Amino acid sequence: MSLLKLEGVTKRFGGLVAVDHVDLVVEHGELLGIVGPNGSGKTTLYNLISGVYRCDEGKIFFEEQEITSLPPYTRAHIGIGRSFQIPRPFGSATVRENVAIGAMFGRMIGKVGEREALEMADHYLSLLGLYDKRHKVSNSLTPVEKKLMEIARALAMKPKLLLMDEAMAGMNPKDIDGMVALIKKIGEQEKIAIVSMVEHVMRALVNFAERVMVMHQGKKLVDAPTQKALNDPRVIEVYLGRPTLEGRDAEGN
Amino acid sequence: MILRKYSSFIITLAIFAVLLLIGLLRPTMWQPVALIMFYIAMGQAFNIFLGMTGYVNFGYVAFLAIGSYGMALGISRFYHTGIGLWLIPLGFTLAALMAGLLSVLVGGIALRLRGAYFAIATIGVNEGLKYLIEGAKFWGGSEGIIISKPMRVTFGRHLANSLSTFWADIFLFAIAVLAAYLTFRFMHSRVGYALTAVREDEDAAKVMGVNATKYKLIAFIVSSCVAGLIGATTWCLKSTYVFPEDVFEVSYTVEAIVIVMLGGSGTLLGPIIGGLIYGICKYWLAVLLPGLQLLILAPLIIVIIVAFPGGIVGVIREKTRGTAFDQVIV
Amino acid sequence: MQFLGMLSGNLLNGIILGAVYGLMTMGLSLIFGVLKVVNVGHGAFIMVGAYVAYWMFTLFGLAPILSVPIGLILGMALGFLFFYLVMKRLLDAPELSTLLATFAIGIFLEEIAKVIWGPDFRGYSWNVGSLHLPIATIPMAKIYALMSSIAIAIGLYLWFKKTRAGTALRCLVEDKEGARVCGINVTGFYALSFALGLGFTVLSGVLLTLFIPVGISPYMGGIYTLKAFVIAVLGGLASPWGAFFGGFIFGLVENGSYSLLGLIPNVEPFSLTQFVAFMVLLVILLLKPEGLLGEK
Repeated sequence: MSLLKLEGVTKRFGGLVAVDHVDLVVEHGELLGIVGPNGSGKTTLYNLISGVYRCDEGKIFFEEQEITSLPPYTRAHIGIGRSFQIPRPFGSATVRENVAIGAMFGRMIGKVGEREALEMADHYLSLLGLYDKRHKVSNSLTPVEKKLMEIARALAMKPKLLLMDEAMAGMNPKDIDGMVALIKKIGEQEKIAIVSMVEHVMRALVNFAERVMVMHQGKKLVDAPTQKALNDPRVIEVYLGRPTLEGRDAEGN
Repeated sequence: MILRKYSSFIITLAIFAVLLLIGLLRPTMWQPVALIMFYIAMGQAFNIFLGMTGYVNFGYVAFLAIGSYGMALGISRFYHTGIGLWLIPLGFTLAALMAGLLSVLVGGIALRLRGAYFAIATIGVNEGLKYLIEGAKFWGGSEGIIISKPMRVTFGRHLANSLSTFWADIFLFAIAVLAAYLTFRFMHSRVGYALTAVREDEDAAKVMGVNATKYKLIAFIVSSCVAGLIGATTWCLKSTYVFPEDVFEVSYTVEAIVIVMLGGSGTLLGPIIGGLIYGICKYWLAVLLPGLQLLILAPLIIVIIVAFPGGIVGVIREKTRGTAFDQVIV
Repeated sequence: MQFLGMLSGNLLNGIILGAVYGLMTMGLSLIFGVLKVVNVGHGAFIMVGAYVAYWMFTLFGLAPILSVPIGLILGMALGFLFFYLVMKRLLDAPELSTLLATFAIGIFLEEIAKVIWGPDFRGYSWNVGSLHLPIATIPMAKIYALMSSIAIAIGLYLWFKKTRAGTALRCLVEDKEGARVCGINVTGFYALSFALGLGFTVLSGVLLTLFIPVGISPYMGGIYTLKAFVIAVLGGLASPWGAFFGGFIFGLVENGSYSLLGLIPNVEPFSLTQFVAFMVLLVILLLKPEGLLGEK
């Protein structure tokens, strides 16, 4: 049984086809990367999976159940979690309260009370190095800290599928490596399938994803194991226009 | 510390106790105390919705009004069934039920709408209901309902009098405590967290799993039911009559807005402090400058919105953030 | 048969009144369309226009039609005043703030009016003859009001389409940042839109007095706020043109329902008509919040 299955998913905005008949399968515990230049439809795809947008065509299945017409909050309850590219903290609430909201209304909805949610929040905040800042008003965090809180909040939802959106943008390479290792470890421990969407920071992708889907103009261009996908000539042409790619492994492949 | 979590609730109860004592020990102060409690309670009920969701219910007064109709109908239509003192709980039950029903009807439509559209939908509620009652001529139409006679007949002159002049206000105290309790429970429960999320970023909240409409509706219904209870006791029981032209006065909604904004919306102590200050000022102003309250209030609202959107409690929280008193006044 | 005659006469009156209703709502839609602000104090500005017409006529014998430009200028002056004093500071504040601010401004105007002119109802009568039609006799005053409304609406339309300022405003509505980059003074145009919107509201209050001979009082505006919202929602909250046409529809429905409800015994048709208006509002919001004529 696959975790997530997209069949012919399509979304139009007026005359523009943002996502064009995309098929995708994600297995439990998988680490998938989605790559594509600006405007290729990645964010729209995320919005379709998490339920912010309705599909114009196509179907979405989660653990074999069709979820195409479910509202976003129900999708959170069945185990789809998400962090946003531009962090969306619940501004006037503290960091701890923010993450607790994820715990309370995610997959554990109804089973987690205030005290337990706050404990879960503490747990994820310390994993991400924000424990000391947990009582700060979330609006007062630095942009990078807000991104970390986003991830903690999404993790607290105890998702089976975590959609991460440009989570590493703005970090320096050393931090990125650390973050990637951390996310992989958590994903493995908690059996979360993680989809990481990346536009620029290839470094985050190469050490993380087992498989990569490349999007271009709303369509799926390539869907293959990481190195094969990134070195596919079509991808290189579409993405960079020249035959070099950051993030090569030690052999220069 | 656990005490910190309950600190605001304890302060609230203390303020209520002090007011009650003042009223009981000095009978001449009973009316001003009752007036202040009215404003506190009215502000609290309004805050349960405004503070938690950030949406303004411009038709708020309609819920106070329908509550007073509930009590009036309970007493005037059932007093000959001989249930005596049970008329009072019946009246309150009717008040809460009718207010709740109205809130489900209005909320069911209005709460699907965002921001400005919600305001528009609620702005007509009190006008709409008033015109329905006057136009279709039920519940006494534009003549209203008078319950002084049914009360005298059922309770006897003496008891009826003390119901209106004393017990109505005691009930108000009880309702105020109820409102404070509900606000406290909301703030520290999943409902409170859900509504905080909705208030800050409704779309992100939905993605995090919050069924925004459901929680907004919960807050709306509770706020309206409490308002109904307030109307039942302060308008109906106390004055022994209900006239549509009186009870659908939009100025009460204005006052509720001022009280909550002045004290600080979304907090437990905000409406208490706001109601306290407003009640005291209005009582003395009514003596000094009759008829001019709204004229002074309106610019006051603007000043608060522009300069102190967090109200008095907001200012206090800013000043105490990071100190030992952090989170005590909430 | 006699009822039909009365009904059609009423409907005709409804259309004429509808033009003024539409004009009245254009200001509301303009302010929402450009500033995304709902002017909850709308009715108070109509009241201001009504008093302008009343005093100009009573003190100086000035024909109400000639008070229209006075109303427009006064409204725009108030608009600039309130914009720079209040609204400008709230442009980035949450929606709640602007709602409450416009609400408070409206209350403030009503209270000042009460203090200055007292709470009693006033009225005047401008008799310039009548037009005799087969189905009804229409006072010429109302005909002038109708013609003025249509002329003013066309004027605004041309202003938007043809002038530089109007075009700049349309750009601003489409894309604020783009307009800024093009050198358009965004704040200045916000002020202008607010002023223009209020100006239209006040001048519609002038024209409205030709239909309500004895109804001028400080609190008269509330009922028109409700009507304006119904019309605005009918026509699409951000579209002045939708608002204008919505006004006609509303005028028709209001008068029609008044006649029909008058047939039901034991019912007070005026109040019930207002209730019907509110119901219409709720139904439209439920089914098509962007307005019958609006776009999503």
